[in-house]
Amino acid sequence: MARVAPSSSTKALYFLCILLGAILLYVDITYKSFDTIKNTYISTTISTKFLFKKITIDPFIYLYELSSSKSQLINKNRNLQAALDKSYLENFIVSRGDKFFMDDEAIIALMSKYEIDQIFHASKIKLFDTTKYFCCDTHIMYIDVISSSDINFTGSAVINSEGILGQVISDNGVKEVLLLTDTSHYIPLETEGYFCNAKGSGRPGIISCTYSSLIWTNPVSNGQKIYSSGLGGIYPRGIPIGYVQGITNIDETNIKIDIKLITNPLKVSMLGIIENQ
Amino acid sequence: MKAPGILKTILLLFLANYLESITAPAFIKIYVAWPVTFLVFSGLVYISSKNINPIYAFCLGIFVDLISNSLFGLNAMLFCLFSYVINSYSNTFKLFSYLQICIFFGASSVFFIGLSNLFLAIENFSYLILFVSFFFNTGLALLIAMSPIYRISVNRRLSEYD
Repeated sequence: MARVAPSSSTKALYFLCILLGAILLYVDITYKSFDTIKNTYISTTISTKFLFKKITIDPFIYLYELSSSKSQLINKNRNLQAALDKSYLENFIVSRGDKFFMDDEAIIALMSKYEIDQIFHASKIKLFDTTKYFCCDTHIMYIDVISSSDINFTGSAVINSEGILGQVISDNGVKEVLLLTDTSHYIPLETEGYFCNAKGSGRPGIISCTYSSLIWTNPVSNGQKIYSSGLGGIYPRGIPIGYVQGITNIDETNIKIDIKLITNPLKVSMLGIIENQ
Repeated sequence: MKAPGILKTILLLFLANYLESITAPAFIKIYVAWPVTFLVFSGLVYISSKNINPIYAFCLGIFVDLISNSLFGLNAMLFCLFSYVINSYSNTFKLFSYLQICIFFGASSVFFIGLSNLFLAIENFSYLILFVSFFFNTGLALLIAMSPIYRISVNRRLSEYD
């Protein structure tokens, strides 16, 4: 049977629906009005997934491990793995070899200044949309602290064993982390006494920064190491962020540098949140 | 052909979205974007013997916006637009060859990717992705369109051996 072409009233309804879609799109882009709905959906998905796993898969795994003579070894191995992951983070922060901070006193000063008794809060990735990470400008990750805490981590820096990943932008149980590479993310950087505000490029592992050659008289070279400047108060000063990977002359005075980040969010699932005061 | 009911359609779109989320990181490395969810929806509208209601298309679009964590209204708008185009030209499609219909779906998917990238990845908008995706999606549509013909041919040959 042949399908009838849309009548004028159906065409009007199509037009209205498309118009409504456009209005919703505009409202979402401008005011981010639907973020609560999206976050609720994501939180529900994560909770359901873990609850489902806990009810269906975990009992079988537990029974299997219980019946197995190697269950104790498995548990020990698991605990050791978690401890090892945690120690990587601790070592990363305090070790002088990694040069997490430019000077050794910095971390002690930071902790005593803000009365922080814990260097970081160990967390795990709950959801990371790798599709968006590879295709789009939005680079967001959802994490949760391992030990329960009442602290609101909004505005706190998030690290892994390689360096800084991003910052917590909302904390409704599950923490929403804006990665450095997100196009709406800015991080103040410094290298050899010069400062610039680097913006996420939307490409995995790359952020970019524009400076004027009239202010930065020393030429920047490929491979030059870039550190966080500490301006803005989110990230501590002197943390290695990445290396200069590409230099582009925008015009006679302005130069854009692409910075290859040291950190890779896909590498480890154990993260740390540095409490923001 | 009768289009599946609401629940089946929602489940199909959910699975398509899941498949898209799995395959996208791998495909993007070869400059291909494969909008499975959109193609599944377009396919359902195309095979349906009745015209799809615009409100139904809009609601499905909103559902896809929610599950794919994209901007609200983007898929809703595009689903409405494409269901209108397919409904309007449903009779004209009968005059077209398989190749022409596949090219139409390939071009639609490129339009969808292009418009989505304008909102989701404006700073990394790539014509190369659009170009490669056009050939990929057209080729894939051709494979799907031709598969029943080859299946019959293979079955016939196999039966000759029996």
